[in-house]
Amino acid sequence: MTALLEVRGISVSFDGFRAINNLSFEIGECELRAIIGPNGAGKTTFMDIVTGKTRPNEGQVLWGEGSKSLLRMNESQIAQAGIGRKFQRPTVFEDQTVAENLTMALSAPRGPFSVLRWRPSADSAARVAELAAEVGLAEHLSRKSGELSHGQKQWLEIGMLLAQDPRLLLVDEPAAGMTLAEREQTTTLLRRLSEKHAVVVVEHDMDFVRRLDCKVTVLHEGSVLAEGSLDHVTANPEVIEVYLGRG
Amino acid sequence: MRKPLVLRHPSILVFLGVLAVFTVAVTILSTGYGTGPISTSMVKTLGKTLCLALAAVAMDLVWGYAGILSLGQMAFFALGGYMIGMWLMVARTEGIVTGTLANLPIPPTDTEISAAVATQIFGVVGSDQFPLIWAFSGSLWGQLLMVVLVPGLLALVFGWLAFRSRVNGVYLSILTQAMTLALALYLFQNDSGLRGNNGLSGLQNIPGLDAVGQEKLSIWFLWASAVALGLGYLLIAWVASGKFGSVTRAIRDDEARVRFLGYSVEGYKLVVFVLAAVVTAIAGALYYPQAGIINPAELAPIASIYLAVWVAIGGRGRLYGAAIGAVFVSMLSSWFTGGRAPDVNLGFYTIKWVDWWQVLLGLSFVLVTLFAPKGISGLVDWFEGLRPPRRRGAALGPDMGSLREKEAVE
Repeated sequence: MTALLEVRGISVSFDGFRAINNLSFEIGECELRAIIGPNGAGKTTFMDIVTGKTRPNEGQVLWGEGSKSLLRMNESQIAQAGIGRKFQRPTVFEDQTVAENLTMALSAPRGPFSVLRWRPSADSAARVAELAAEVGLAEHLSRKSGELSHGQKQWLEIGMLLAQDPRLLLVDEPAAGMTLAEREQTTTLLRRLSEKHAVVVVEHDMDFVRRLDCKVTVLHEGSVLAEGSLDHVTANPEVIEVYLGRG
Repeated sequence: MRKPLVLRHPSILVFLGVLAVFTVAVTILSTGYGTGPISTSMVKTLGKTLCLALAAVAMDLVWGYAGILSLGQMAFFALGGYMIGMWLMVARTEGIVTGTLANLPIPPTDTEISAAVATQIFGVVGSDQFPLIWAFSGSLWGQLLMVVLVPGLLALVFGWLAFRSRVNGVYLSILTQAMTLALALYLFQNDSGLRGNNGLSGLQNIPGLDAVGQEKLSIWFLWASAVALGLGYLLIAWVASGKFGSVTRAIRDDEARVRFLGYSVEGYKLVVFVLAAVVTAIAGALYYPQAGIINPAELAPIASIYLAVWVAIGGRGRLYGAAIGAVFVSMLSSWFTGGRAPDVNLGFYTIKWVDWWQVLLGLSFVLVTLFAPKGISGLVDWFEGLRPPRRRGAALGPDMGSLREKEAVE
């Protein structure tokens, strides 16, 4: 299996603090992966590096069949290459309607002049309606997204990710602040997503990860501590000491 | 399929209607074409006000929609004025010089006429030659092209450098102030090539139209300004609607998130900034022939700050708000500073509005910002029963330029 994303020996430090320390990571096409680790393990920094927000001091980040380096691209180019990101806090454009949010995310040419010429079509309207239905917001299309509940905003953001149709989805703590029922729906959705996309989920909640039933990578102090099934890594004494033991 | 722009946004239709009625009314009441209660100088003031409204609409695209608080917009306005002023001065001086030299026994050569024109124009700064930047000043079309190109290029270069380095918020505002100040200081020098602090004058005299007379010419310029405002408003309303407008407003509220959607934020800001600069320059090119004179003081940083104040008082983030703000405040300002406002005698002190107007303006700006962030347009929302969302004071995005709770509509 060739890797979709390959991270090789990256390190990054902020003011002398090594947030990521010689981290290597690989994920294949249509794979679901959970990343767990205590606070400050470098989970969010790892996502920042892959999406171009933070530049590593050393190492390589390679993407796709041609093993293109992502380090030479900026955030918008990386997003266009097919990496989507879901933030920890729901970040949608609150002054705009659900339909406008989804329309912006729809995969289409992103240049200013193409967007100026862009006109809504029957296809695009149908796609927006379909996406909204998929994330349970069909009745809220014309509402401003700022009025939605916390959970609905999370869902809208997932809908926007789907609209982008990325090859790799990076999802930061999707279950944070959700009710139990919403969590279950989210698990189902993420599992279904991984049939067509590669998905990396960063999560604190062990029950949530167990329900995802996928390969798990444990981060600690900026590098990989263990990797394997959840049962395998939770049996690892080092993991128990740094993470589970405290929880 | 989709309804046309003006039907999707009825406010455009209302705006254009009011503008048309206003223009016709002024024409009917003018000295040049009507019954005469409105003096020629008043017609000029009204025409200039329309140009300022166009600059404010462009400012609103930059600030109200893209969240870039540019405090250097009047640099583009003045540059537009300078560019058209160069042709006006050369063409008019040429007419006068040719008339004078025609009395000589030997007819003058083109070189002699050109030299005489140069002496006439640049004698005041101790020169008798055309500087290089006047290369196209003999051609109306050349200078009209410059009205668009020079401010457009300045905005392109400045914007590219600033946006690419991701300069945002207050720092960007300071940078734009520095840009207009630097340009003003440069133009104040005698060897800048644009007659230093003398500026360009006599711009109200349009070459070849001496026979028309100012009372009619002022109405022609009023019409031209009204058409420019109408077309500029339509253009900007079109840009600010649809998906482009959506992305632009998204950049205002949360530009980092827009990047992760795959949009190049810098590209969008640049398009918006350059477009606004060009529209502002066209407004300036129509303003200064009505004002008659332009000098580097027009680029003073305070002028651009006023523009932002007008937009804020009118209501940011909606185009008619910007236009209303510009018209309302600039008309009020000329009423107060023109000595027409009656002094208020408090017994122990007499408030002279010429001195106190700026204090009043500053105070109302602070009050509007604090208590009525929607400005005058808030009245429209109040009338339509639209209310701001209840967000416990949270703005609609994390960025500095993002819409605040009280500016938004539920």
